[in-house]
Amino acid sequence: MTRPTAKEIKAIADVAGVPVSPEVATRIANSIGPAFEGFAPIAGTLPFDLEPATFVLVQATRAGK
Amino acid sequence: MSATEPALLSLTAVAKAIAEKRVSSREATQSCLDRIAQWQPRLNAFMAIEVEAALAAAHAADAALAKGNHRGALRGVPLAHKDMYYDAGKVVTCGSKIRRDFVATTTSTALQRLKDAGAIRLGSLQMAEFAYGPTGHNAHYGPVHNPWGIDHITGGSSSGSGSAVAARLTFAALGSDTGGSIRMPAHFCGVTGLKTTYGRISRAGAMPLSQSLDTVGPLARSAEDCALLLGLMAGADPQDPTAVAGLVPDYMAAVREEIKGLTIGVPNAFYVDDLDPAVARVLDETVAVLKREGVDIVQVELPDQRQLTAACQLVLAVEAAAFHKRWLIERPQDYGSQEHARLQNGLAIPGVTYLEAMRWRGPALSAHLAAVADVDAVIAPVAPVAAPTIAESDVGNSPDAESVIQRLTRFTRPINYLGLPSLSIPAGFTRGGLPVGMQLIGRSFDEAMLLRIGAAFQRATDFHEKLPKFA
Repeated sequence: MTRPTAKEIKAIADVAGVPVSPEVATRIANSIGPAFEGFAPIAGTLPFDLEPATFVLVQATRAGK
Repeated sequence: MSATEPALLSLTAVAKAIAEKRVSSREATQSCLDRIAQWQPRLNAFMAIEVEAALAAAHAADAALAKGNHRGALRGVPLAHKDMYYDAGKVVTCGSKIRRDFVATTTSTALQRLKDAGAIRLGSLQMAEFAYGPTGHNAHYGPVHNPWGIDHITGGSSSGSGSAVAARLTFAALGSDTGGSIRMPAHFCGVTGLKTTYGRISRAGAMPLSQSLDTVGPLARSAEDCALLLGLMAGADPQDPTAVAGLVPDYMAAVREEIKGLTIGVPNAFYVDDLDPAVARVLDETVAVLKREGVDIVQVELPDQRQLTAACQLVLAVEAAAFHKRWLIERPQDYGSQEHARLQNGLAIPGVTYLEAMRWRGPALSAHLAAVADVDAVIAPVAPVAAPTIAESDVGNSPDAESVIQRLTRFTRPINYLGLPSLSIPAGFTRGGLPVGMQLIGRSFDEAMLLRIGAAFQRATDFHEKLPKFA
């Protein structure tokens, strides 16, 4: 996943109602950039098994050794 | 220090001694208070110390016992917990300036269940501001110090819990684990810490940080002590819909079971990469002990853990920012610089990215469970290093802060993202005398297996019984 730019971050923070300066936006970009680069979302076409609550179903599966 | 000092007993031992009237609650409480008075000035582990109230509660517990009221597995046992568990009528600071004077009007379910078992309150314990920091620094109340090396960090965010349990100031303490906040202090301070399965213990009345990742759990002196506390706290709660229903296993029975014939997996990558030599040595030594106890050790190939770490960071950042948005607007000056900077990070993550990270959880857990299908548990280091110094890890809101934090928590965050249980056990020491912990990672809701293995390991070793050298 491509990391957001400082300019994009500034725009998102403004929309969120907590504006940040360009300097802070740059710091944020550097801080969270690795998380974006480290995460590759699953490509899908609205599959139900990617509904977030699926986690609870998997968790409840008593998969023993 | 006396060998018969009650504060040096384990939780299970002191609870039994009080129930059998070999030690009074007042003696146990006074013993903890004496140690607190001695060590608090150096450790800064307590947020509040309630001497008179604790002694009064101990006196009442002794009076009840004298009348034959033995109900409650913790009758008369003094405890202190991370200062984020609401206790009606008590100030709960959450380690923050913003909530410095906040008085809770309700009591958290976990705390209430320990009270119902007879536990009494010594005070409250220090923590990272709003539980958002893995080192033990706190801009408002100062850093908590590690009893094993006063200039070293305790780890966080349950910093006071780790320090106080290690120094024998309390018999056990509640912590919380959203990205490693129980296991990190357990590892750095040489105590046993249980990160429970997401949904195992109610979080009602516990300060939230990330609703998808937060878990409640104990730090204590042994796996057996953790088993006792877990059994008292686990189970459904109408006030927390994520707390699962169903029978709570007999964890105290589990810790008495042998481990011969079990299979434990050692990851072949990620958790064994770039380890400090001392941590690598302790991992090898731990594996050797388990082999001697009759455990089969096999290598396991886990799915890409870097993805899990990144996804955890995205979810945690967004959910924490959402909880704090109002204060970020109204009281930004009242946060410590690091917490403020990290909370700002979450505001910059798009909604689509958050949802992509959330919807991958089910498939990721499925893939993990498939990878560990042939083992009873996985063993791995809690962190790649032993406790750094307070000075070298005081990164504030510097450009390096997030990378330092990510390095410390890279072995704990994947487990939070998957919602799995993990037991951190003291497993050795560096040449300089700092503790090193290992984490046993299990299947969802299989804390019993981790406690069973942890207890057997602790019967074969004495790392968990070592006292910090200053004590």
